[in-house]
Amino acid sequence: MTAAIDVRGLFKLYNGKIRALDGVDLRVEATRVFAFLGPNGSGKTTLMRILTTQIRPTSGQASIFGLDAVRNGQEIRRIIGYVPQETSVWLDISGYENLLVYSKIYGVPAGMRQKRIQDALQSMGIEEMADRMVKSYSGGMVRRLEIACALLVGPKILFLDEPTIGLDPSARKAVWENLISFKKEYGTTVFFNTHYMDEADLYSDEIAIINKGSIVKSGTASELKQSLRSEIIQVYPDGRIDGQVLKSIRDLAFVRGAINNNSHLEIVVEDSETKLPLILDVLRNEGVSLKRICTAKPTLDDVFLKYAGAIRFKGKGEDPAEKALQA
Amino acid sequence: MINMALDDSIREMFAMIELEIRRLRHDRTEIYTRAVQPILWLGVFGTIMGRVNAIPTGGLPYIDYITPGVLLQSTIFVSVFYGLTIVWERETGILKRLLVAPTSIYATVIGRSIASGVRAVVQALIIFPVAILLGVKFIANPFYIAAAFLILFLVSGGFAAISILVASIMKTRERFMGLGQALIMPLFFASNALYPIDMMPSALQLFAVLNPLTYAVDAIRGLMISGELGNILVDVLAILVFDMVVFALASLSFRKILE
Repeated sequence: MTAAIDVRGLFKLYNGKIRALDGVDLRVEATRVFAFLGPNGSGKTTLMRILTTQIRPTSGQASIFGLDAVRNGQEIRRIIGYVPQETSVWLDISGYENLLVYSKIYGVPAGMRQKRIQDALQSMGIEEMADRMVKSYSGGMVRRLEIACALLVGPKILFLDEPTIGLDPSARKAVWENLISFKKEYGTTVFFNTHYMDEADLYSDEIAIINKGSIVKSGTASELKQSLRSEIIQVYPDGRIDGQVLKSIRDLAFVRGAINNNSHLEIVVEDSETKLPLILDVLRNEGVSLKRICTAKPTLDDVFLKYAGAIRFKGKGEDPAEKALQA
Repeated sequence: MINMALDDSIREMFAMIELEIRRLRHDRTEIYTRAVQPILWLGVFGTIMGRVNAIPTGGLPYIDYITPGVLLQSTIFVSVFYGLTIVWERETGILKRLLVAPTSIYATVIGRSIASGVRAVVQALIIFPVAILLGVKFIANPFYIAAAFLILFLVSGGFAAISILVASIMKTRERFMGLGQALIMPLFFASNALYPIDMMPSALQLFAVLNPLTYAVDAIRGLMISGELGNILVDVLAILVFDMVVFALASLSFRKILE
């Protein structure tokens, strides 16, 4: 089956020296929701602009449903929907008029226009606002209108560049809920760039992380999280823990690190669910009674910071897992 | 294939015109405020200078003489500042989106230019009745008047293309504003809008001959006021050549606007 997106050895140099993309390989299967993550300036938008035929790559190949992004630009533009990061509707006309003008620009046949417009409005849940001037819309409504405009062509693939940037949490949720129910109904492939890890986690089937122009990691959200292979078990004893206890924990083959953090022990393992009982056995044998146990699984934030971040850990500025490993 | 591309292009142009008409329907403030200046040119400058009788107008009242030029100036103002819309659309994501639509870039540029021409004609239609009230005597032939408006439309479209070209190069609002201002008045003064070319210093005369506004003023003055249509073919030809050159240049530069 032809991939929705197939990218091979893609390079993009700006002004002959700035390396925006440095050998990207990427495959996105049809009907998937694909999240593309990366820090600012990592090449996310450059890749999207090449895939949507706005700019040409310096070398390498990119194709959309088998159509070459350089040679078959015109054909690609007929099957994609694209929503740029910045506002892409006219503010001084109504939402309906935007849809009408875009349907004409996109060449939707006259007989199908009204139906397509109604469907797009309905898909994004903005029927009631259709006749209001876009100026009076909230940020979330503008974004839903922009996505509605992209749905007019009946796209096989939807490209969204930071679709929820600058929106409040409830507006973000509204955008995504409408998108996902549209996607379920029509099976459209969705490819989006984002900074919001929670969105990638919740709504994507697959994720790729790009850093400095190359893809550093890809997989499903749970694969990526598991790839860190460091879950932390925190054990709060009733009293102090002596060095002997710490040593016997560290002696366990599956323990990747452990530190005594005064009030509690931090133990790093690959999989806390199967290893916790074994650790409890050791603690019981050493005669330690426990007040509380908690486990922390890595989040997508941790994954992002590990593969693409210069800063090691959010919050206190250090990674307890890392520290525990060093101890 | 070529047929389909042509259909796409024509459709795109009409969509752009429709967009402009819809925007105008919602908000005409700009058209009204922009009408103030040309009305002052006619009502104040035209009336006072008319009393001096210093300019050979071929027997026409001075206010009648300058009406075509003032109408053109007002429409060209609209066109030249149309580029600001393009600059705004560049700052937002609209241009990116238009470039990703299945239409040619030429259709987008020409469509936008023509759309601006429509806006400009609406501007002229506001000033036209005011000129009648001020006592300007137009030739009472609806075909001549319609032809004059058609020429206004063609010239305005061309200047909108120049504006798009400038927007592609300048890219920011501030730089654009400066150049827009610097463009209009010299064009206006170095044309036959306010005085015959013969009265100018010879260097300026050369510039006036290359100035598309000169041909437009001559044609519109012939059609609306004087009835002298001896040069009309040359005038129309000059305007068409001007349009084609600037449409081509604007289309070529437009892809660069996003870089």
